Amino acid sequence: MFLTLFTYLSIIAFFGLSLYKAAQFAKMPMHGRWELYPVPKEADDKRHYGGSFYEDVEYWNKPRQVSHVGEIVDMLKEMLFIKNLFVNQRRQWWICYAMHLGIYLLFLWAAMLFVGGIIEVSGTAVTATAGGIAGFVYYITLLSGAAGGILLAVGAIGMFFKRIFDETLNKYTNPNEFFNLFFLFAVAATGLVVWSGDIGFNYGREIMVSLLTFSPIQADFALTVHILLLGAVMIYIPQSKMSHYVGKYFSFHKVLWENTPNLRGSEMEKIVKESFNYQPKTKTSWSAPHINPGAAQSEK
Amino acid sequence: MSKIRPQDMGKPVEQVCQIENLMPLPAPYDKPGMEPDFKAPKDSWKENYCATLDGFVGNDTLTRPKTKEEQDEMVKKFLSGLEKLFNADTNRGMLQPFMLSFEYCAKCNTCADACHVFKSSGEAEIYRPIFRSEVLRKIYQKHKKGGSLVNRFLGGDIDINYETVMRLGELAYRCNLCRRCAQTCPLGLDNGLLAREIRKIFSMEMGIAPKPLHESGTMKQLATGSSTGITKDAFLDLIEFMEDDLYELTGKKYKVPVDKKGADILLVHNAGEYMAWPENPAAFTIIMEEAGLNWTLSSDMIGYDNVNYGLFYDDVQGKKIGAAQLKAAKDLGVRRIIQAECGHAHKASMVSQDRIAVGADNIPRESCLPLLEELVVKKKVFKLDPSRNNFPVTLHDPCNIVRMMGIVQPQRNVLKAIAPQFREMTPHGVNNYCCGGGSGFAIMNSFNFTDFRNKVSSRMKFKQILNAFQDTIEDENTPKYVCAPCSNCKGAIRDILEFYQATAKFNVHYGGLVELIVNAMVQFDKPFMEFLRDDEDMF
Repeated sequence: MFLTLFTYLSIIAFFGLSLYKAAQFAKMPMHGRWELYPVPKEADDKRHYGGSFYEDVEYWNKPRQVSHVGEIVDMLKEMLFIKNLFVNQRRQWWICYAMHLGIYLLFLWAAMLFVGGIIEVSGTAVTATAGGIAGFVYYITLLSGAAGGILLAVGAIGMFFKRIFDETLNKYTNPNEFFNLFFLFAVAATGLVVWSGDIGFNYGREIMVSLLTFSPIQADFALTVHILLLGAVMIYIPQSKMSHYVGKYFSFHKVLWENTPNLRGSEMEKIVKESFNYQPKTKTSWSAPHINPGAAQSEK
Repeated sequence: MSKIRPQDMGKPVEQVCQIENLMPLPAPYDKPGMEPDFKAPKDSWKENYCATLDGFVGNDTLTRPKTKEEQDEMVKKFLSGLEKLFNADTNRGMLQPFMLSFEYCAKCNTCADACHVFKSSGEAEIYRPIFRSEVLRKIYQKHKKGGSLVNRFLGGDIDINYETVMRLGELAYRCNLCRRCAQTCPLGLDNGLLAREIRKIFSMEMGIAPKPLHESGTMKQLATGSSTGITKDAFLDLIEFMEDDLYELTGKKYKVPVDKKGADILLVHNAGEYMAWPENPAAFTIIMEEAGLNWTLSSDMIGYDNVNYGLFYDDVQGKKIGAAQLKAAKDLGVRRIIQAECGHAHKASMVSQDRIAVGADNIPRESCLPLLEELVVKKKVFKLDPSRNNFPVTLHDPCNIVRMMGIVQPQRNVLKAIAPQFREMTPHGVNNYCCGGGSGFAIMNSFNFTDFRNKVSSRMKFKQILNAFQDTIEDENTPKYVCAPCSNCKGAIRDILEFYQATAKFNVHYGGLVELIVNAMVQFDKPFMEFLRDDEDMF
C-alpha cells in the first residue's frame, strides 16, 4: 500500500506545489511596466514588426486593439516548440527540445494510462486487439510512452553531457543542475527498463487501476525503483528551478507582454488607484542618504 | 583569461579581465592604426577606485575602502541592500520581474550572442550577460545559506568580500540595459533587469552611483530643475537665443510659446539639447509653428527637462522626477505632453512612470514621432523637397523608443518621404543594437570609461553605421547622415564619430529627425543643417 500512497502523494505534491508557486507569483504586488517588443497581443497590423499602440497620435483617445489570438499563437509556439531557442540557438534546441517533447509526450502517456485505467475498471480490457476506444487508447499509450521515454532519456543525458563537455555551459552549471538532468535521465532510464519487459504498458494501467480503486500497487524491484524515482522527481520539480513552466507564464504574460496603459477611466486606472492604498508589512526601507536621511544620520 | 568563472569575482588578482580581441570593424577601419588604443588605468585610480575588474573606472563614487572596518561595512551594506530586492515593501515596483529573472535562468547562454558588449569585446567572459547575474545569484545563495558543502552544491560557491562587491558594482555599469538579450531568452528572463537591480542596491542602499547620473543628474535636476543645471532664468535666456538664431537662419521671426496656460501640447525636450544641439529644439519650433499647433514649453521646475536618469539606476529618484514632470504639465493645464527626441524620457514618462498617477494628475504622454508622421506623411502639412536631403541617410533605433515601446514605423515613414537615399542598418527596428551610450553611458565620462564606451559598448553601432554607408564611406565629398532621434544616442554617436574621426575623414554626420524635415522645407533658402551650408551647390 506504500507505493499507492506514495504515488498519490507525488501527484498531489506536483500539482499542489506548482499551483502554490504560481499563487506566490500571482499575489506579488503590481509591478512597474517592463514590457519588451514585439508584444504579440498588439494589433494585427503592428505586431509583425514589433509595433505598438504608441505609434498612433493620441493613442489614449482611441480604442485599444488587443489581439488575443496573436498572444495565444505566440504562447503556443513558445510552449510547444521553445521558439526562442529554435530561432536563436538551433544547435542546442535539438537536444533541449527532445527532452521537453519527451516530457510533453509522457504527460499524454499518463493521461492515456488514466483513461485506460478507467476503461479497465469499467470492465473492458485495453489490449492491442481491442477495438474502438480501448484499442485507440492502447496504441496512443504505446506510442506516447515509448517516444516520450526515449526522447526524455536521450534529451536529459544529452544535455547532461553537453553541459559537461561544453566549456561555457559547464562553467555556469551548478552541481545541482547536473543532478537535475541526471535525475530526469534516471527516471526515464528506469522507465525504459520496466517498459522493456511489458511493451504494452499494461503495468501502467494496473497502477492506474490500483490508484482508482485505492488498492495496493503490485510491483517487482525494477518497477518499485521506477515508481519511487518518478514520484520523487514529481515532488522535487516544483521546488526546483525545473518549475520554470510556472515562471515562464509570468515572465511573458505579466512582464514582457503586459503593456496595458493606465488611461483615465480604464480598468487599469482602478488597479493603480487600489495599489496606492498598499500598507507596508515591514518597517524596512532603503538606507541611502537621498532616500532615508535619518538612517544615514544614525549610522554616523 | 577565458577560463574566468563567476566564482572568481572575489579572487585577489590585479585585474579580472583584460580585453584582448576586439571585434573587427569593417572598411575603412579594418586597417591597422585606424583607432586609438585603450588608456591604461593610472595608479591613483587603482588605489582609490575599482580598476580591478577590467581596468576601466565607470562608477566614480565607488571608492575603495581603506580600513578593515570600511571593507566589512561595504559588504554588510551590500548584503542588506540585496535582501531588500526580495522584499515586497522595498522593491514593490520590480519584485515580480526581479524574482522571475533571478530564479529561473537555465543558463542556456542564448542571450550572449544578442549582447553587443559581449560580442564587441571579443567575447570577454565578464561581459557575458549571465556572468553578472550568476555572480549575484551565488552571493545571495552563499549569504542566505552559508558555505556548507550542500550549499556549494546549490551554487553558493563564491567568496563574498569587498572586492567581489566592488567589482560587481563596476560590472553593473558594463551593460547598456538595452534588453536585447531578453528578447532572445526562451524563458523570457532579463539580465538587463538584474544589472539594473544591482545598480539599485548600490544607489538606494549604499548611496553609490556614478556622479553624472546621481549627483550631477537626478539630484541636480530635483534641486535646480534640470540635470544640466539650467535654471528657469537661464532656460528663458536660452529660448531667446534660440529665437535670434532662428531669425538669423530663416529670416523669419519665430516666437516660442512658453508657459502658455491651457495649450493643447506641452512639448518637453531633453534640456541638454538647448546646449549641445540647439538646432533640434529650433527645428521643433519651426515644425510646431508652421503646422499651426497650439503648443507651449514650460519654464516651471523640471517642466523644461524631460530627462529622468532614475530610469537607469534608482526607482525612488525616477518616481520623484516623474511626478514633478506631471505636476508641471498639470499646473499649465495642457491637454497632453509630447516627448521630443529623447529615448529614455519617452520610456520614463510613458512606461516606467505609468503607474504613479491617476485621474487629472495623469496627463496623457505621447511620442513626437507619430505626430511628425502625421504632419509630414499623412496630412502633408509642409511643402517639402526631398532632394534637399539627397545624401545617404541611415536610422538609429533608440532602444527605449523602439524595443521598449514599439514605436517603429513613424520615423521610418517620415524618412522615406524626405530622404531619397535612406537605407536601414542591419539589424534594425526592434532588433537593432544599442548606440552604446544607453543607461547613462553617454554622459559617464569619468577616468577612462570613455574608452570602454567608444571602443566596446558603441563598437557594434559604429560597425552598423559603417556597413550602412559602405557604398560611399570612403568618398569624403559625400556627406552621410546618421539620424538618431534621441539625445543620449546622439551623445554616444557624436563621441564615436569624433573618437574614430569619422566626420573629419569620411564626412559622416549625425543629428535628429526634425532637422532633416526642416532641411527639406522649400520655404527656406539656406540648408538647415550646418554641415550642408558650405556646399549649397548640391541643391
